[in-house]
Amino acid sequence: MVASGASTGAADEPQRIISLVPATTEMLFVMGAGRRIAGVSNYDRFPADVARLPKVGGLLDPDVERLLSLKPDLVIVYDTQTDLKRQLERARIPVFGYVHRGLPDITDTMRALGARIGMKAAADAAAARIEQQLAAIHARVAGRPRLKTLLIFGREPGALRQVDASAGYGFLHDLLELAGGSDALGDLQKQSIEMSTEMIISRAPEVILELHYGDSLKPERFDAERRVWNVLPSVPAVRNNRVFLLGGDEFVVPGPRIVIAADRFARTLHPEAFK
Amino acid sequence: MRERTEILARTPVRQRLIWTVAGFGTLAFAACLFGPLVGSTRIHLSAVFDRSIPYADNVDAQIFFVARLPRVLAAALVGSALALSGVVFQALLRNPLASPDTLGVSAGAALGAMMAITFNFDFSLLGISAVPLASFAGSFGALLIVYGLSTARRRGTSTIVLLLGGVTVQALLSAVIAFVQYLADFTQTFRNVRWLMGSLDVASYAPIGAALVPMAIAWAGFATLPRVLDLISVGSESAAARGVNVERTERVALVSASLATGAAVSLAGPVSFVGIVVPHLVRLIVGADHRLVLPGSALFGGAFLIGCDLVARTIIAPLELPVGIVTAIIGGPVFLWLLFRRA
Amino acid sequence: MLAATDISFSYGRAKVLQDVSIAVGRGSIVGLLGPNGSGKTTLLRIVAGILPPLAGTVLVGGQPIEQLTRRELARRIAVVPQETHSTFDFSVMDMVLMGRYPHLGAFELEGAADQDIAREALTATGTAALETRAFATLSGGEKQRVVIASALAQASEMLLLDEPTAALDLGYQFEIAALLRRLNAERRTTMIVSTHDLNLAAAICEHIVLLKDGRVLAHGATRDTLTADSIRSLYDVDADVQFHERAGHLTVVPIARAH
Repeated sequence: MVASGASTGAADEPQRIISLVPATTEMLFVMGAGRRIAGVSNYDRFPADVARLPKVGGLLDPDVERLLSLKPDLVIVYDTQTDLKRQLERARIPVFGYVHRGLPDITDTMRALGARIGMKAAADAAAARIEQQLAAIHARVAGRPRLKTLLIFGREPGALRQVDASAGYGFLHDLLELAGGSDALGDLQKQSIEMSTEMIISRAPEVILELHYGDSLKPERFDAERRVWNVLPSVPAVRNNRVFLLGGDEFVVPGPRIVIAADRFARTLHPEAFK
Repeated sequence: MRERTEILARTPVRQRLIWTVAGFGTLAFAACLFGPLVGSTRIHLSAVFDRSIPYADNVDAQIFFVARLPRVLAAALVGSALALSGVVFQALLRNPLASPDTLGVSAGAALGAMMAITFNFDFSLLGISAVPLASFAGSFGALLIVYGLSTARRRGTSTIVLLLGGVTVQALLSAVIAFVQYLADFTQTFRNVRWLMGSLDVASYAPIGAALVPMAIAWAGFATLPRVLDLISVGSESAAARGVNVERTERVALVSASLATGAAVSLAGPVSFVGIVVPHLVRLIVGADHRLVLPGSALFGGAFLIGCDLVARTIIAPLELPVGIVTAIIGGPVFLWLLFRRA
Repeated sequence: MLAATDISFSYGRAKVLQDVSIAVGRGSIVGLLGPNGSGKTTLLRIVAGILPPLAGTVLVGGQPIEQLTRRELARRIAVVPQETHSTFDFSVMDMVLMGRYPHLGAFELEGAADQDIAREALTATGTAALETRAFATLSGGEKQRVVIASALAQASEMLLLDEPTAALDLGYQFEIAALLRRLNAERRTTMIVSTHDLNLAAAICEHIVLLKDGRVLAHGATRDTLTADSIRSLYDVDADVQFHERAGHLTVVPIARAH
């Protein structure tokens, strides 16, 4: 469950919210509270409105001065930012601590956040919508064979080195499973691990999904990066030409856009289900 | 200990050389043979070499030839390069605690790699990707600076100047590395940190081939060094008085050891302790004569790193430890033990 | 045997040697005396061919030193430095065999003949029993004798010694002095000995050269040149110089600071 921070008797409807977490920023917009946001993190990119908003740093480097100067009445921080939380408590500013684990936590957080800012109805409705859309995607691919999938979060460009893969835990793992894929490293129960070449060959995934966020990969390079896998022809995914490169921020932000992420996973894994 | 010194002193160097090369050579050969056979997955040697199975379908062959054999070869090359550089730097700097990292060549390589990772360098050359290329360029840059320092020394200045200059370069580069890491985002930081732990999982022969180019130049340099390093380590003036061209020797030593270090670090990241511990272990067995210590370290360094990589990829299977952690866990205590012995 | 003429040298702006000339006859022992900073060590380096002079010539056996390769020069001149610190753990035999370097090819390993020469050199310096010991474990006197042995193994006609007794206990000082005298008598080895120790110079050197502030103050036979006057000029010290019956040579007793 998600934790709420100490609330020092402030208003039930905060009007100057600062969100250091891109996921909660998107949640606030989706539930209609976008006007009430006074500041966002340096890493916020969606929706376009955030470009106009003041930036106050991020997980590792919050700009406390800037933050305080915006006179917020609620600050959404990562639950692990203990120093920042303490500073805000001293300044008597209410804090909402964000914790992130798996897929269910996303809608749980939305509901909790909605309740906290006095937009319970809108938040609940938005959360329910997300859950329905996810269920619909899941239904579309239900009954299809679950493909053993290697979900790659990153690797060295141009080489099969420093391959960072999903290993059975976290919202992306949950999305993959929902979209009709079976995490090739699911038994390891870790958020991510660095894979060796030997492991890739022995696990023999049927599909390889590589995620590329932000501007890290230009479309011209997609083919070259896909070809990197050709050194392992015995891997079914390589042999059957099922190596896919997916770019986009919806894979990085565990917020409302995970529906898009789930949809893209499902269409990539089971294209026949969407004809 | 005393007996060993006696035995060594009585045996003529020709015989000792034969024993050294034969002994360590066998060890290295066994490591190269054994290495690709062992791993986290069971493979069948018969299937590996079975030509009737098409290569694209032969899982055992791919594990052997793509996953394991390049690793073993890379380990042999990197281990040997770092050990050789360690020996040469220790003699060049007249300091048994010197290592390939001392003069900043490793730091240069690390900076190149960090920049490639953080700023998303996108180029490649002849099948070699950006990170090893930038890494080698970084090490070469550091070498140029330190080389410039060494030639700027006036005649007769001690190696202290070279040592201080190199240590300063190393510190300066480390600061720049810290700055580059500060600029990196989460994923890049993670990759930077992982790179610094070292990895031999090259998965291809092209980077090994590329590393062989500077290595071959380094070996050519190393080949001229054994006896003169002995003489120089006893005193540069006595060496000069015995006919050694001390300045030229020091330059050849510096360039060769730096090229070898640069090649090794660009291939596998900075693998700790190999360059400092292997030379000492070899000296414990064969004595101080560089004509034995150099070939011995080259062979033992390769075998040692193959062994460490083997541990790294099997001990917590199916997961892997970065090889730098294994060399540190083994090398650290061994190094402490060596220090206590000296004291 | 060796003639250095009008040698000048500077480290940067500091003039270390100016127009220094010395001549060393074959089979003689010449002492180089002078205070710290007088240029003794620099002169030795130049004469050994380790340092090129800024001006002047050095002739070894009549040949200009630049015409000889480093190895050729090493076969003619061996150097015994003041102190020898080995970074690594070499044995005594290892140390002595290093003296054979100028006689071997680039990749040639020492053979039985070289080992014999090494053993002979150890015997000549009375250190044969130490052959298999680690060099670092020896006493100061033993180390110095081994270093002299390695210079002997170089089979050169001339030996340059830089403060051979400076770091040694009294007893060892006598040993080294006796050794040098004996080597000179038995092998006719030419020697240049740079030293602070006036009594050592008096004991073993037939000729001495006095260096002060980079110039030759005086030179000649020891009995003529080592006088109270020359010592006063060199060191600003009043000393008593007398022939000592029991010692069999001149002795120098410093009395007081001169003004």
